[in-house]
Amino acid sequence: MTMKMVTLRIDEHTVEVPAGTRVVDAAKKVGVDIPVFCYHPKLESVGMCRMCLVEIGRPVVDRASGKVVLEADGSPKIQMAPKLETACTTPVSDGMLVVTTSEKVAAARREVVEFILTSHPLDCPICDKGGECPLQNLTMAYGSGTSRFIFDEKMRSAKHVPLGELIYLDRERCIQCGRCVRFQHEVVDDPVLDFYQRGRALEIITRSEPGFDSVFSGNTTDICPVGALTTADFRFGARPWEMKPAASICAQCPVGCNIVYDVRREAKSSGKPVIKRVMPRQNESVNEVWICDKGRFVHHYNESAERLTQPLMRVDGELTPVSWQQALETAAAKLKEAGKGLVTLAGGRLSNEDLFNLRELTRAQGGTTLLHTHMGGGEWTRQLGLNQGSNLGSLGNGDAIVVIASDLHQEAPLWWLRVKQAAQRGATLIVLNARPTRLDAYAAHALRYQPGEAAQAVAGLMGNHKTPAAFQTAREALAGAANLVVFFGSDGLGLTGTRALAQTCADLLMQSGHYGRPNNGLVGVWQHSNDQGAWEMGYAPAADLVGSLKKAKVALLAAADPVGDEPALAKALAGADFVIVQEMFLTASAEKADLVLPVAAIPEREGSLTSGERRAQRFYPAVPAPDGVRPDYTIAAQLGQRLGLELEGRAAGLVFLRLAQSEPAFAGLSYQALSTAEEQWPIVGRRDLYFGGTTYDNNQGMGTHLQPVLKAGERPAAVAAALDTELMDAGDNLLVLPHTRLFDQGSLVRFSRLLVERVATAELRLNPATAKHFGLAEGVAASLNLNGADASVIVRMDDALPPGAAWLPRRVGVPLWAPAAAQVKVMERD
Amino acid sequence: MNELQKRYPEDVAAILKKYPPEFRRSAIMPLLYLAQRQDGHVSGRSVTDIAELTGLSTTDVTSVVGFYTLFHAEAGGRYRIQVCTDLPCALRGADDFLALLQKELGISVGETTPDGMFTIEEVKCLAACHRAPMFQVQGDGDITYHEHQTVESAMQVLKGLRQQAQKSGKEAA
Amino acid sequence: MLQGFMTTLKSILEKPVTIQYPEQKRPVRSRFKGRHVLKRYDNGLEKCIGCALCAAACPADAIFVEASENSDENRYSPGERYASTYEINMMRCIFCGFCEDACPTEAIVLGDNYELSFTSRTDAIYPKDMLLEPVPEDGSPTPQKVPAGAFDRAIPLMQDATD
Repeated sequence: MTMKMVTLRIDEHTVEVPAGTRVVDAAKKVGVDIPVFCYHPKLESVGMCRMCLVEIGRPVVDRASGKVVLEADGSPKIQMAPKLETACTTPVSDGMLVVTTSEKVAAARREVVEFILTSHPLDCPICDKGGECPLQNLTMAYGSGTSRFIFDEKMRSAKHVPLGELIYLDRERCIQCGRCVRFQHEVVDDPVLDFYQRGRALEIITRSEPGFDSVFSGNTTDICPVGALTTADFRFGARPWEMKPAASICAQCPVGCNIVYDVRREAKSSGKPVIKRVMPRQNESVNEVWICDKGRFVHHYNESAERLTQPLMRVDGELTPVSWQQALETAAAKLKEAGKGLVTLAGGRLSNEDLFNLRELTRAQGGTTLLHTHMGGGEWTRQLGLNQGSNLGSLGNGDAIVVIASDLHQEAPLWWLRVKQAAQRGATLIVLNARPTRLDAYAAHALRYQPGEAAQAVAGLMGNHKTPAAFQTAREALAGAANLVVFFGSDGLGLTGTRALAQTCADLLMQSGHYGRPNNGLVGVWQHSNDQGAWEMGYAPAADLVGSLKKAKVALLAAADPVGDEPALAKALAGADFVIVQEMFLTASAEKADLVLPVAAIPEREGSLTSGERRAQRFYPAVPAPDGVRPDYTIAAQLGQRLGLELEGRAAGLVFLRLAQSEPAFAGLSYQALSTAEEQWPIVGRRDLYFGGTTYDNNQGMGTHLQPVLKAGERPAAVAAALDTELMDAGDNLLVLPHTRLFDQGSLVRFSRLLVERVATAELRLNPATAKHFGLAEGVAASLNLNGADASVIVRMDDALPPGAAWLPRRVGVPLWAPAAAQVKVMERD
Repeated sequence: MNELQKRYPEDVAAILKKYPPEFRRSAIMPLLYLAQRQDGHVSGRSVTDIAELTGLSTTDVTSVVGFYTLFHAEAGGRYRIQVCTDLPCALRGADDFLALLQKELGISVGETTPDGMFTIEEVKCLAACHRAPMFQVQGDGDITYHEHQTVESAMQVLKGLRQQAQKSGKEAA
Repeated sequence: MLQGFMTTLKSILEKPVTIQYPEQKRPVRSRFKGRHVLKRYDNGLEKCIGCALCAAACPADAIFVEASENSDENRYSPGERYASTYEINMMRCIFCGFCEDACPTEAIVLGDNYELSFTSRTDAIYPKDMLLEPVPEDGSPTPQKVPAGAFDRAIPLMQDATD
């Protein structure tokens, strides 16, 4: 694609940019700062604040000849516009001259600042934005220092307006730039903020229920050029200059958003450094400059008083604190005894290094490594996943994206945003799900299948299965796609269903050859941040976890809580001779364990995670770990040493080097490679906060894609097994399908006080017709008998859901991981 | 079927028919007028109903109500006295006019007279700068302009409105 | 020699330049910079709003401030924010008075107390209750329960913009 380039002069610089670029962006590219308030490089320009006024001249063209008139010295004659123009709305044109340093421009800026300040309270000392405030900075840089307006006539309005429980609005500070309103409308399409009234009375309102109902709400505080929008979480937490930023990766979902932990000492934590806030860190290939509210507000778990800080061992039936020395020696002895009877069950929250050391430890004993997940198909994402050069941000016209059995908006909000934007850039989006999801609105083809029949739907998309006519048109749309990315998830599916689905998706990609090159491949919408990393290292879920745990002599559980997840697993685990648990908290599994080893949380240690897009990214220590905890990889290494193995446990970087030597997918990678950062556009987080908001610049590394396991044309090694089908017909019982919600009752969310109100509860949603059939009514409490255990739920009607099944979120206290047939009865009121 | 549709089934259908489905959001203005017809203001319930009919968020509908001075989110008097105080009007004495009017009626901007007849509102440009001070009266499904006003002439207009209201009240009785 | 005795004699008759400290104390100069005092308004509310600009201005990094939110039920200072933690490490302080200059509410003032002695490093850290001045006669101690909306401005309204 060739873009028409335009050459123009900005002050003393000459710059060549693509046609259609705004003057303000062109200037930024050559380092000329044009101050802005309402303009943001990720939003449409509106020219509302007038701060970007500059002098613009254009070459004079002779009307008769159509040629540029030349001066005596041969340079083109420039006609300056009589008035100043807004640099944020004016596109560049050939031969343009932009003057940003003249007295006329300086006067305009001075007056715009003066005008904006007529209604600004200037309460910078108590404002959370003070110190990183565009208005403050631009006033210092361009303001006059005095005002001709009468101070007493300043607007006096509400200073403490909660827009929901996460974000506060200070109406006095608002300068009416509309960045938040436009962000909510244009970028994330949650139009829950808007203007109300006009002129000086203009104010920002929300009327949604709950207030400011958007999972991206925190981003508005980053782009607000004043302190009008602040988060309830950080409110008065610290001054921006007092905090130390530490780069990290959000470990709440497989997207792997680049973040920064802002850290400061805190008196109530007896002077220890604590995380004060989480900010996005720019990575245009992953999260651009945004993060979701879960990533922003869920960081409180690591400072919880419930953290384990001492190894616990079962002595006379009680878990008793013991020394690390004793704990490790006991564990090592048990591992040695166990030999092949060792079963290591790892969770997807572990880092690459943890998983590698645990694998080495387990393999040396001849034991089994298992991944604790309800979602299969990683053997396919490993081979057909995304490769170097892939960037969802570069998909557009001519490309296609298929999202199947996933509610991306809830499971991986940033992927939802990126897929939505790709669709808006022209990519063909095909969404397949048994129920409607937020992504349908942007899909060229939003297709429905019968609950449980996701794999069949993909087969239908390939023409291998009888499907409605709509599938035919979707198939045609897919046929000519230059690039194709397929996202598959576990919405309404369990382990068996997702495995079958992944395999069919793999078939789809192989059939059309959409793999082995950038921007093509299969992406699993996993439940944890590093599930993909685990698959890459050969971890896989057990086909029969109950059986595996029952047979285990020693079960080593790391970041996995089977007891809390499912009663059947709890029973099975009781059969193991010795259970070792590596955990941050005393989970249900830890309570039943024989030995509990306390581990460090992600902000307390080094490591790397592999995102669902197969991008390995580093996180760095932000706060000191509490005394007594150790990173998982160190624990595994120390156990290994006692068993005569030579495992690296001194530093995560060294473990990673071993991993790179051992696994072809990680070959050639190192911490150095992961920490390289390249110049990105838009420029954010430097001196010019006014431009991109308070998002941090990325200096600590943007991560690297793993090496391709397959080359284009090479067939995957895994052989297509016969597709097991998952339960689809519940007979006389109610078919209950699991789905994932962003704010679930997972072990980490519960420590964030603010999020409590948004957390999903055990609500059984179903079509009124289905409800009627089972004698259920809106709002009633019902009892579900699922897999032999009883659970209580609240019934909710939802016309949008197809009849014949009911939907229940995962991790809301009901052990539901795969479609299940449930006996349902209305509970009697006491 | 929501409240608004139940109350004005034909009107809502007629309005929606005017706009193709993809431009349904354009129906917001006539629907707001319709919602305001009976009570003189757009209730929260009507906002929700219109949001549902047009596919907009309740926040967006509220925003439109807030932008236009002829839509009202709050209940007011039978007649809304809307005085323009933008710059040209202010230069011609609209500020003083408004102050005197408030004194005369014993209420300030945004308030309603105890008999529920008049609400004073300050509005943006009414495009009659050259005939300021001026105001418009919104009420009884009508909007009337009153230009070149003094407080005396304005009170005369209000007196007329009172009589008109009484008359229509008697007729109704 | 005689001259020497004369000088001695003269000195005996002169008023002594030394004073009997600590029984006697010399008044300090008006611009003397002694130990910090956190001021209160006449009604007893604290002037300090916890903005931490003093900590930012401090060249010796001697001040540590943490802020929290006021409510009308539990009000420490006018406006939304107050200092829930305010500590000055007197061993670090160099009494330069930059904190006083930085303060937007004239809450921190370097007073006339120069008698600072402590026997341990922790004692050198003066917490907020040591720094706050006593509650004025007509005022009440903080936190106060105040009528809603009575103290909603953190920074007193400027009467004269040039002040």
